[in-house]
Amino acid sequence: MNLHFLMPLAALLQAPDDAIRDEIARLQRNFQGLIWGFVAAWVILLLYTSMIVVRERKIRREMERLKNMVEDAEKKS
Amino acid sequence: MRQKVMIGMLVLAAVILMRNLYVISVLPDEVNQGQIFRIIFFHVPAAIIAMTGSAVALIASVLFLIRKDFFYDSLAVAVTEVGLAFLAVNLVTGSIWARVIWGVWWAWDARLTSALICWVLYAGYLILRQALDEPTQRATFAAVYSIFAFVDVPIVIFSIRWWRTLHPQPVFFSKSGSFPKDWTSALVVNMLALALLYAVLTMIRLRQEQTQREIDYLRRTAHAM
Repeated sequence: MNLHFLMPLAALLQAPDDAIRDEIARLQRNFQGLIWGFVAAWVILLLYTSMIVVRERKIRREMERLKNMVEDAEKKS
Repeated sequence: MRQKVMIGMLVLAAVILMRNLYVISVLPDEVNQGQIFRIIFFHVPAAIIAMTGSAVALIASVLFLIRKDFFYDSLAVAVTEVGLAFLAVNLVTGSIWARVIWGVWWAWDARLTSALICWVLYAGYLILRQALDEPTQRATFAAVYSIFAFVDVPIVIFSIRWWRTLHPQPVFFSKSGSFPKDWTSALVVNMLALALLYAVLTMIRLRQEQTQREIDYLRRTAHAM
């Protein structure tokens, strides 16, 4: 019976526990780093977009206020 | 009409990014780096887009000084501000990658340092604009500053060729590149989506700058009455 396909598993079982733990920790750090990288990229872009939205609202309010002010002043004069 | 175009571009960018997130996730891991290499699909496009924005800011600043048309001043500030956000994405994602691969968050090598200086210079551009009240003086000073700030951009781009750096050499669009074709196409598609997002944000900022100019005019009119 050909059991060649079990060789990597056998090698893993024979490896010292520390080496396996280190490798698992390395893979975990690697994956966490990737997730943090993606999250950071999107958080920065979303924060900036929300800053733009807030500014847009402020500008519109200010524009409205000034237009009314100028119109009122024109009516009075 | 303009609003519809912007919404269309935004939706297209979102669809491409969603699809590409899947494409990137099913790519095989890089032999030496493992999964973390996927950060490159955001890190590199963010840098390329930010540097392109700097070039547009340079052209707009020169055109403002020649023609004295405030549209170019608005364009320069819009592309610079959005570019600064993208450069921040580039710096932060690079730092996270460095922590995993190099074991440190930051190294003072030529590429990283020049990119940080670039960010600080363009942040200075925005601070300078806040400090000046008179519109023509503000636009003129800012245009001259932007032209000088651009000097750092070629240093950022070519630093990895000019000096020996810790930062990896280019792996896309280069003769010594080792990335397979499907990885390059994933990068190009991601760059297209992020460029669409950049364009939409720039258009909104440009409109805001122009409205702000109108507000300044109305304020002066109101005070004169």
